[in-house]
Amino acid sequence: MKTLFTISWRNIWRHPARSSVLLAAIIVGLWAGVVTVGIINGLMQQRIDYMIESEITHAQVHNPDFLAEGYSWLYIPDHDEITAWLENDDRVTSFTSRTITDGMLQSPIKTSGVRIRGINIDSEIRTTNFHENIVEGEYLDSDIRNAVIIGQKLANDHNVEVGNRIVLTFEDTGNELTSGSFNIAGIFKSASVDYDERNVFIRSDEFIALLGDEEVYHEIGIMLADEELAGPVVEELNEAFPGIHAQTWRQLSPELSMLVELGGYMVILITMIIMIALAFGILNTMLMALFERMREIGMLLSIGMSRLRVFSMIMLESIILTITGAAVGIILATLSINYFSDTGINLEMFAEGAAQVGWDHIIYPILSSTEYIIILAVVVIITLLASVYPAIKGIRINPLEAAKDG
Amino acid sequence: MAIVRTEKLSKVYNPDTVPVHALRDVSIEINEGEFTAVRGPSGSGKTTLLNMIGGLDKPTSGNVFINGQEISKMKDSKRIDFRLQNIGFVFQHYNLIPVFTARENVSFIMLLQKRNKKEIQQRADELLEQVGLGERKDARPVQLSGGQQQRVAVARALASEPKFILADEPTANLDTESAMNLLDIMEKMNHEQNVTFVFSTHDQRVIDRARRVITMVDGAIHKDEIQHTDEKQDA
Repeated sequence: MKTLFTISWRNIWRHPARSSVLLAAIIVGLWAGVVTVGIINGLMQQRIDYMIESEITHAQVHNPDFLAEGYSWLYIPDHDEITAWLENDDRVTSFTSRTITDGMLQSPIKTSGVRIRGINIDSEIRTTNFHENIVEGEYLDSDIRNAVIIGQKLANDHNVEVGNRIVLTFEDTGNELTSGSFNIAGIFKSASVDYDERNVFIRSDEFIALLGDEEVYHEIGIMLADEELAGPVVEELNEAFPGIHAQTWRQLSPELSMLVELGGYMVILITMIIMIALAFGILNTMLMALFERMREIGMLLSIGMSRLRVFSMIMLESIILTITGAAVGIILATLSINYFSDTGINLEMFAEGAAQVGWDHIIYPILSSTEYIIILAVVVIITLLASVYPAIKGIRINPLEAAKDG
Repeated sequence: MAIVRTEKLSKVYNPDTVPVHALRDVSIEINEGEFTAVRGPSGSGKTTLLNMIGGLDKPTSGNVFINGQEISKMKDSKRIDFRLQNIGFVFQHYNLIPVFTARENVSFIMLLQKRNKKEIQQRADELLEQVGLGERKDARPVQLSGGQQQRVAVARALASEPKFILADEPTANLDTESAMNLLDIMEKMNHEQNVTFVFSTHDQRVIDRARRVITMVDGAIHKDEIQHTDEKQDA
């Protein structure tokens, strides 16, 4: 085996330029692939973290019909019992109750459909970091009466700014149309332009006063010690309170959940595309090397080297070349990912476009150990497949090639 | 006892299209210690005969016995192993492994035979000394002249301790001095160690030194004669 390894290794370096080019292609290809996968993962994780931490939270509780219909009278029954249950559960790190309904926003120039979110400032700040999105003015903890914060896109569309007034119109819990005049205290800019266009925030106590006589809540957002706890907590809530519908973030946002699954497929897909392209390079190089060595391989077979050994020798050449390239490529990629996972990759030039689809322009690439293993497995499998054909060609060489002229 | 024996050996290429009769009922015997040249013009069948004797090709009909063992009916893998243990090859184009040194080239065949490492090193060094390349054992083929490369090839052929050595046009690419030097070495080994050599050649320098000369014409043996060289008389 040592001899086979030696002969294979030296055969690789018989044409240093050719092998170096192939090695460089493997290194750069794999580095680019791994870093791309890391960036995609980073983008997905950023989206997931942002959505969970700023809005969705790990789990939510609603009236079973609220999400489909959005009426203010579809509030959560047993709200106080549920919050008491949450307060006593160690897995729950924080929660916040929200009063929500769909309505209309009127400004002097136009009217838009919006979702009005009444929030409890203290518990909201403990539970989400949405308040960090304020880009102008203040959050709802300002002294302004009937304060509202609106998204930057909505503010631009309505040509309004901090200090202006808008009117919010909605149905109250008694099914009556109600309006309220609100003062713009602040303007927020989240990672999603779409979200900024469709949501406004007011204080829940002021909202409740307009909605009806009783204190009603339509949503409880819950943050847990670990994302993995969402499933069990939701299950227990649904069992304990049959009149509600508790859901995990994956259930609430299937597109977000799909992103996570997609991430897994992307690793395999991107690595496979890169490796298939490289496989043709390996195949081409190995076939060229083989055709140049027909007489030599004929000689090896003549003097008594078994076809299995010839097969192994050719396979080893491809494997050594690819494994060397893959190892260097992955080391470089790991170093790059580790570096950028701290500093982030600043895609300032794409900031506007990224914001349109809800992404921040600073990306922190991530790659799990499982993904490294998947990438290595794909590299090894495709290399083996690419090496088999030249190796089979090699063992079919007639020993008489050794005696041929020319 | 004959080391090599062929019985009515025939080889027809392209039997279904344009048949070419490379060998026609060739029956010969080669005994241990012979220094035999197979001569003939191009296309006379001398290389085909050597390929059959070396187990590199299969006859259309007839048999090849090496040390009493029929090799033409052997399975491919068995024949490869048989060649490894019993036959040494020297090719016209030397066919050394270019990425190996002279010593590694000679050792390689013994490694295939799975011999003891110490024994391999020792024997490789001895053989390179015998062919006059003791000082060049770490040189790669590209650093050696044609004559030196062919001497390494002879050392490699001897390394496996074969029953006989087949040399296909061994001097064809060598100048006179190198050719004579190579023939001296092979003759010496034949004399001193009783190594059996069979050459295919149309080089008069080789034919003059051979003790037995088989002449082939149109795939058949035309003449099989013993030459009384000085060496033979000494023997």
